Amino acid sequence: MDSLIPFTTSGSLVDCVDRKMLVVLRDGRKLQGVLRSYDQFANLVLEDTVERIYHQDVFAELHRGLFLIRGENVVLLGEIDLDQEDEVPLRQVEWAALEPYHKQEVNDKKYREEAKAQILFERRGFCKEGGEGDGY
Amino acid sequence: MLPLSLLNAAQNKPMLVELKNGETFNGHLVNCDNFMNITLREVYQTNAEGDRFWQLKECYIRGSTIKYLRVPEPLLDAVKDEQTRAREAGRSARGAHVSGGRGGRGAPARGRGGPRGAPMRGGRGRGRGM
Repeated sequence: MDSLIPFTTSGSLVDCVDRKMLVVLRDGRKLQGVLRSYDQFANLVLEDTVERIYHQDVFAELHRGLFLIRGENVVLLGEIDLDQEDEVPLRQVEWAALEPYHKQEVNDKKYREEAKAQILFERRGFCKEGGEGDGY
Repeated sequence: MLPLSLLNAAQNKPMLVELKNGETFNGHLVNCDNFMNITLREVYQTNAEGDRFWQLKECYIRGSTIKYLRVPEPLLDAVKDEQTRAREAGRSARGAHVSGGRGGRGAPARGRGGPRGAPMRGGRGRGRGM
């Protein structure tokens, strides 16, 4: 059966429908939900979605509901092993408690990336990113 | 239920649209197309930092700038029900047609198979009978 379906988005995602999936977006957001539908662009419909943030060995999650994600923005889509997900050595905390740390982390990373890009641009002749790209 | 048909079914429903640049738009869906271009009415726009807000009567968003849409959760069930109903209706309509036609089509098929002397099974197209 597998070999009959060519390796395309529509071919390889059939098995993932109605499974709990992890989606990582280009902006770094991590969503977990049940994949209900997709199309040839890998636009996804995720039901019962929660957003998770991580910091060191703790995480927090927030229920976000039903998502329709435009395929372009998806970096990664992976199935969550229901048997193993409880074994992960992470501790859950309140969202409000973790959010400041997470924001700080995101800002730090953004700052580092900008500094790096600036150095590459000035000293190594690389082009600057972001003409079109992520801005819009 | 393709993602874009879910979007179509979300007309007049409230939704949150986040653009790739992080801006969000809260409003009711007026219309959409297959490029995911959408129009919203009674919109609250929020900037990427989430600290400034604008209120718009109506707005148009080009599909290619969208990161994701968040729609009300009951919508999925509503659409599923709707689809099952449509399928049931289609099946019963088609069922009536097929059972009515079958008796008539069966007889001449036998006749056609005869002259060639071929076994009758060979004369029938695969899957035609259904």
